[in-house]
Amino acid sequence: MARIFGIDLGTTNSLIAAMEDGAPRVIAVGGNHSALLPSVVAIAPDGAITVGECAIEMEPHLTVERDGRVSAIGFAGGQYGAVIRSVKRYMGLGGDEIAPEDRARYTFADLSGSVVRFQIGKRVLTPSQISAEILRALKDGAERALRAAGKDEKVERVVITVPAYFNDGQRQATKDAGRLAGLEVVRLVNEPTAASLAYGLNKRATGNVAVFDFGGGTFDISILSVKEGIFEVLATNGDTHLGGDDIDRVIVDWLLAELPDALKLDRHVWNSARMAAENAKKRLSDVAETPVAVDLLGHSIRKHLTRDALEKMAEPFLARALKRCELAVADAQLTPADIDAVVLVGGSTRMPLVRQRVAAMFHKEPLCSIDPDQVVALGAAVQASVLMGTQGDMLLLDVVPLSLGIETMGGVMERLIHRNTTIPTSVAEGFTTAVDNQTHVDIHVLQGERELAKDCRSLARFKLGPIQPQPAGVPRIEVTFLIDANGILNVNARDERTGREHSVDVKPSYGLTDDEIERMLEEAIDLGEQDLEERLLISYRNDAEQILGALRKQLGEFGALVDVGERGRMDEVVERLEAARTGTDRELIAKLVEELNEVTTPFAERIMDAAIKLALEKKSVEELS
Amino acid sequence: MIECPSCGRRQQPLLICADCGSPLAATLDCFAALGMPRKLTIDLGALERRYHELSRMIHPDRFASSVARVRDASLRATATLTRSYRTLRDPVARGLYWLELNGEKLAENNKRVPPELAELVFEVQEQLAGMHDAPADSDAACELAAQVVARRSQLQATMDASRAELERNFVKWDQRPDEKMLTLELKAILSSIAYLRTLIRDVDRALENSKAA
Ligand SMILES: Nc1ncnc2c1ncn2[C@@H]1O[C@H](COP(=O)(O)OP(=O)(O)O)[C@@H](O)[C@H]1O
Ligand SMILES: [Mg+2]
Repeated sequence: MARIFGIDLGTTNSLIAAMEDGAPRVIAVGGNHSALLPSVVAIAPDGAITVGECAIEMEPHLTVERDGRVSAIGFAGGQYGAVIRSVKRYMGLGGDEIAPEDRARYTFADLSGSVVRFQIGKRVLTPSQISAEILRALKDGAERALRAAGKDEKVERVVITVPAYFNDGQRQATKDAGRLAGLEVVRLVNEPTAASLAYGLNKRATGNVAVFDFGGGTFDISILSVKEGIFEVLATNGDTHLGGDDIDRVIVDWLLAELPDALKLDRHVWNSARMAAENAKKRLSDVAETPVAVDLLGHSIRKHLTRDALEKMAEPFLARALKRCELAVADAQLTPADIDAVVLVGGSTRMPLVRQRVAAMFHKEPLCSIDPDQVVALGAAVQASVLMGTQGDMLLLDVVPLSLGIETMGGVMERLIHRNTTIPTSVAEGFTTAVDNQTHVDIHVLQGERELAKDCRSLARFKLGPIQPQPAGVPRIEVTFLIDANGILNVNARDERTGREHSVDVKPSYGLTDDEIERMLEEAIDLGEQDLEERLLISYRNDAEQILGALRKQLGEFGALVDVGERGRMDEVVERLEAARTGTDRELIAKLVEELNEVTTPFAERIMDAAIKLALEKKSVEELS
Repeated sequence: MIECPSCGRRQQPLLICADCGSPLAATLDCFAALGMPRKLTIDLGALERRYHELSRMIHPDRFASSVARVRDASLRATATLTRSYRTLRDPVARGLYWLELNGEKLAENNKRVPPELAELVFEVQEQLAGMHDAPADSDAACELAAQVVARRSQLQATMDASRAELERNFVKWDQRPDEKMLTLELKAILSSIAYLRTLIRDVDRALENSKAA
């Protein structure tokens, strides 16, 4: 039987692992023999996709050339192609749930839909499709590594880990990503639980374990009871939008404090600052003080960051995480003193402050003997071997992180399955009609802990029926809400009188429908079969259109920065490109785009320079007054 | 009777096929699902061992590569098992379930105040109203909040006492399960626990709101 692989589809980094001679091992998928694949996806204007280290190089940023000049490079977003990082933050979100700061960072297609859609060139991609590219890169990388080791093995069946606190929509979106990558997702496993499996494999431990998982984008805390190979989750809590990314953002704000907002949000400037900030943060896990620098055009920002200052910035985020820990311990009906071992997972637990605070909370030195970057993937491989039946009597009993219920009269949420209930679990609820001859009953399923439906997250809506016309209250329909071992809801309805199964057409409030996924799969195939030549021509034409459009706009706004001779050269190339654009000579279009780029570069740099000077002047005027 | 999706044998409803050991999606009461005697007193250690043992046999992780029919049976059987375990593990949930099995039920939304709690409930409500009306951040509001916190511990202590009484009585009731009087007693204690639980939740919510304000 085909092996099942374990995948940690992380916000920052992704890994793939498998059992090898009874022990879980990560597979080196990176070019440099690294197991970590940065979860960064670059999509070129022509639709070409790159994942990992190489994609990072295409992120818009400022770079200092050999001659000392600073230039802006990378895919600037939208029509110029884009580089998407931390796509996991967008999994399962609706368009209306996108934060304003995200809108400055990426270009989105219409934000009214039930799914976030990134607009990149002519392509519109959902987070599941982008995650599918990461999964595909892991699959290809692993198959290549296996071939190099003399094994002709395909990666087809996988376990994928998700944050324990992921809701139904986020889990579904992850499963969809697997399907879009052509993988069979045998099981979704919660990341902290996976980590506990990795630790539990060699030491047949018994006792209560707390797993503290603080990564780039998400935070999870899970409390488990381990006994004779049974890993039973007692409670879990977390925040799917809390992690090292948030700390980086605060450092960036401090670093760019003197710049005006318009410049701070410039994708080149912001990304350069983000890289500098993250690197400084990581260095401060080892040293007490570090310089931080960002080179802008003609100016550079040079500051010093101390560990003390960083810890003050990180404190509010850590406090939020620790509050979640308290709640989880209480939900497990334990006190911190009942916890026998604390496991640290995730890159952000390398911060000394995090270690100290976790140790203080549980009165115990936390365990971190397994690389916190790898432990989740290793645990996923262990769970994969449990699923293959090669792990003896080891068994994982996980819980649902959020309560599930339905909207009742007056907009109140009636809880049917409480959070921290062991899964799989099901509950049956009887429904009837409210008025005579009613033929349908509308049901609104919710997830969350708040009292009112409007404060919970809408999960799905469905209509029961058609129901035979009868007096009010006579029909009896039993609806079974079943949460499977992946933490995903399934709904079934049965007429209690006739015993007949009702078909339930559940419309998810967020996320993709089956039809949409089918269409995406078909599109992917179509795209592959479309004539390559034609596709290239279209993408070159798009390039031309973009650069011409952008130049027109810049000349409108900053025309004063161009001298007559320069303008003449530009106009001449523009004219030739306009003509070539309607033809079919792809090479000619490419050559002219290149040429136009060249003649306009000094102009572009002057615009950037002027903008920064203006901003800094404004700042100093403000300071004087 | 139920048919095993693996070997096809028809048999009494259980969670595991008597012939081939495959999971069966039978509809069972909580005691039967776990093979425990239908009693209010339960050996929690034995209950957990039984739960783990059955989970090892029927959990979907054991059937990841089986045909859809068997996977589905495993999913449903395990859902029944975990729900049953949760119900029996908690004395209050177990008591309520036992009443239900005996055709009794607590009043749907439990509006009636149990007589022995009347005075306490009145005082709590008075305090909550006071806290709600006091101007935010005023000394009076702080004072009232402190009183409500003290009241909460009192409510919790009353609830703990009721739970302890419930478990003490389980033994007695198990010996004479058919006496109507005993059912009434059980019902009375469970109502007051349910009532206290709602009250504590209201208090927590009020405290939360006053903190947010
Ligand atoms: N030495 C370090 N000190 C502080 N933070 C670190 C260090 N190394 C990595 N990180 C942070 O850890 C996060 C990534 O952790 P990871 O566990 O890979 O996240 P995820 O699971 O969300 O992909 C990033 O925010 C990164 O900046
Ligand atoms: Mg992680």
